Formats: sequence, C-alpha cells, structure tokens
Amino acid sequence: MRRVAVVGVGVTKFGKHDRSSAELFAEAARDALADAELSPASVQALYYGNVVGGETEKQLHTGPQAASVLGIPTVPTTRFETACASSHAAFRHAVMEIAAGVSDVVLVGGGERVLNVPTAESTEYFAYASDATWEQPLGLTFPGVFALVARAHMAKYGTTEEQMAAVAVKNHRHGALNPKAQFQKEITLEQVLKSAYVADPLKLYDCCPFTDGGAAVVLASEEVARRRPRAVWVLGSAAASDTMLMHEKKDLARVPTTERAAAAAYRQAGIGPADVDVVELHDCFTIAEIVATEGLGLFEPGTGGIAAEKGWTSLGGKLPVNTSGGLKAKGHPIGATGAAQIAEITTQLRGEAGPRQVEGAHIGLAHTLGGNLATVLVSLFSRD
Amino acid sequence: MTDAVVTSKQFFERARAGTLTAIRCGKCGELALPPKEFCAACQQRAWQPVTLAGDGTIASYTVIRVAPRHHTGEVPYAIAVVRLREGVSLIGRVVDVPLETLAIGLPVRFRPLVTDDQTSVGFGPA
Repeated sequence: MRRVAVVGVGVTKFGKHDRSSAELFAEAARDALADAELSPASVQALYYGNVVGGETEKQLHTGPQAASVLGIPTVPTTRFETACASSHAAFRHAVMEIAAGVSDVVLVGGGERVLNVPTAESTEYFAYASDATWEQPLGLTFPGVFALVARAHMAKYGTTEEQMAAVAVKNHRHGALNPKAQFQKEITLEQVLKSAYVADPLKLYDCCPFTDGGAAVVLASEEVARRRPRAVWVLGSAAASDTMLMHEKKDLARVPTTERAAAAAYRQAGIGPADVDVVELHDCFTIAEIVATEGLGLFEPGTGGIAAEKGWTSLGGKLPVNTSGGLKAKGHPIGATGAAQIAEITTQLRGEAGPRQVEGAHIGLAHTLGGNLATVLVSLFSRD
Repeated sequence: MTDAVVTSKQFFERARAGTLTAIRCGKCGELALPPKEFCAACQQRAWQPVTLAGDGTIASYTVIRVAPRHHTGEVPYAIAVVRLREGVSLIGRVVDVPLETLAIGLPVRFRPLVTDDQTSVGFGPA
C-alpha cells in the first residue's frame, strides 16, 4: 500500500450562516486547495460527508451538488453518511483509494446546515440516528443517548457532574483561542453547573451547539506530497461499528467501538497511546470526551473525568485534548466535523496553531463518533 | 429461509396485549431482543420465541427536558434501559414513578404504552 499525506486543509468559520451546506463546503475546499498549492483540476475524486441535508435543506445527492458548487462537477463523488462521523468515514475511504493506487489527489470534506430550522426540529433530525422502531418513538434524543452513558459511568466509576463540567470549561478556554470557533468565550465551572438540564445528568453547557459549517482536507500520494509544502502523513485510519440499539450495549459505561477502532489504528501505525502528543476527539457532550479518552487508551477506564479535572488534557497539560475548542466550543456541523478535526491535527503537526499550539507536537490523533456509539473512526498522523 | 421467528410488528402486537417476547438461540442459548436473523454470539439461526416475565431493574436512565418535535408537550419524561430478569435488556419510557426517585437498580415492570395507532415500551413500578 502507498503512503498517503494530508497536503491541504480548510475550515469555514463555525456558527450560523445564510449559505447552503454545499457553499460552506466549497469555501473550505477552496482554502484547502490553496493551502495545498494544487489546482481544482488536480482533484481526481471527492469523498463528501453530509448528514441531515435531506431534512434541513430538502437536498439529497449532496456529493455531486457539492462538487458542482465547488466547480469540479465531473469529478467522481460519493456522499458518506455515518451520522456525526460522516466526513471521517469519507476520509478513511479516500486514504484507501490513494493507498491502493487508484488516485493521486483526493478531496475530502463535509458541509452541514441546521441553524435554519428551530431547535425542536433539529433535535428530531439528530434523533433519526437512533433506531426508528425501538428508540425514536420513545422520544429519545441525542443528548438522551449520552445521558444514559453518563449515568452508567457515574454509577460504575464515581464520575461527577463537576468533572464533566471541567471538560466544558477546558474546551471553551481552548475555543477562545480559535478564531474559527462558534464560541470564543471562556465559561466558569459554576455557569456549567447552574445551566438547565437538557437530559439529566447533562446540562445545556455539557452539550455541543447546533452549528452550520464546512471543512475540507486534500489528500495526496507520497509522490505528489513530496513536492508539496508541509505535508502531514497518515499513519493509520480505522473504523469500528457496533449495535445501534442502546439497550443491546453490554456496558453503557464503555464505548467498544472507540476501543476497537483505536486498537486497529495504533496497529497500522505501529505506535501506542503513549506516543500521541495532541488529540482531537468527539466531545459532542462532556461525558463523550471522558469516555473517548478512556477508550483511546489515553487514560485508564474510569479516570477520564479525573484527567479533565486535574488539567491533564488542557493546553500545557500532559496530553492536550481538543485544542480547537472541540465540538463543544468550536461547534459541531455534523457532516463536516471529522474533516475539521483532521484539519486541526494537521495544523498542530505543522506547528501553525498559533496561541493554541502544542509545543513539539509530532504525532496527532483524530477520533470521531457517530450516532448511538455505533460508528467510530480513529486516524493517526505524523509530521514526518 | 423460513419466515422470521418474531417480527418487530409481531413483537409490538404482543406487547400491546401485555406480553414481551424475545428469542433464544437453540445452539448457544443467547437471548436477543429485538429479533434478528443470525445469532450475534454464534452466527447460527436456530431461534425459539421466549415469553419474558416483564420485570427487571433500571440499568441507566435519563429525564428528557428538551424534546424532539412531536414530543415537546410531554416533557419532562424518563427513558431507561432496563435489565430484565432473564438477562436481556430493553429500552422504554418510565411512567408512574416520581422522577426524583429514579435510580440505577430500581425494580420496574413492563407495561405497554398504547395510543390509537402505536404501541411503545413502558415500565412502571414493580
């Protein structure tokens, strides 16, 4: 298999926009191509993530639509939908296309628009990632899914609402350093703890926001990447799946999809969790960051909350997590999130993250989770 | 292939009448709910329907306070994963239990939640 590198990245400002998801993606892709110093004509395929376009924009077939808006309508294009992990799933398949020798330059990205509909409506659409027969009729929400995980984690390990709040405070502190973040303001522990319950024990400030945005990554074969500036190498990229149904999970306090995807990615890369310098992981809710740090092997099961509380995962800590502000503060345009996480890791490994730079970052990890813990992607990167 | 042992439709018809139905693998003994074609534990297809007693304990729960469209008039409402006596779990609404008394380990009993056109899984006090 051929080596694959990230040679360009682009991310829109996250927040509320009055443009379509395809336009948001196209802006990010334009920036990513400029960053790679590659022309649109060099792109041989587009792998695209978009989740609720059919609902919020009445738009299906969003892959060719995105390619058309970008101005490369004849490029073969596929839309990926693995709930919130969509553009990371797209990324993995693009890596395989280049590694297999089919293409030399592939564009990956995603776009999402949800702030054009009311909260109750977007809450319903996000819940479509739960089972339509067994879960949706109960009124189970996306925060509700992670609330079930949080309760189980609290009961099994003694994790506290204060520890979860520490994740929110930390990610807002990081987000304040990211000009692309939806929220660029710090919050206090007290603000989190006093915010209203959305799905007990998760409160408003434990939850990521609804977000419009786009992100893009240009991937290239080694031959092309050697001639580009600032290439970041893909060391491994793995996916794992599990039963959709929350009641079929053997242990709600753990996420076996994260454990299996991480094990496979570390094996591909020939490294372990101790080698990782910087992490972007799926903190759609504060508890999600805690269980992800445990599932990735960065901290022992049950100690993810302690890690946040002690500052181990803060900038300047032993292993900075979500330097971008994470989904929590940077925002979560679901179809674009995986590509945006990979863009942040690339920026960190190039040493271009400015005030949120992790000094000497050499190896980075991106982790993205999709609906009901049923899909996880983990990829590992190195600057040489 | 023969027909499914229990379809989702049949499960909810039986649930509407007050009975929970799972399937048990005739090869390895694995219990499953909802029904599926192959046993995830041994990949065989030797299912037998099993009527469950309907009692269990809460494995995890939440109280939904921000609801999806079509459920906004129902908040706050509780949803729990319930570990049933036979060892298989099921998710449902918890009803007629004060929200402040909800706890992991709390005993509950199945009851169907029936509207004109829909049956869903509920659990009430044991």
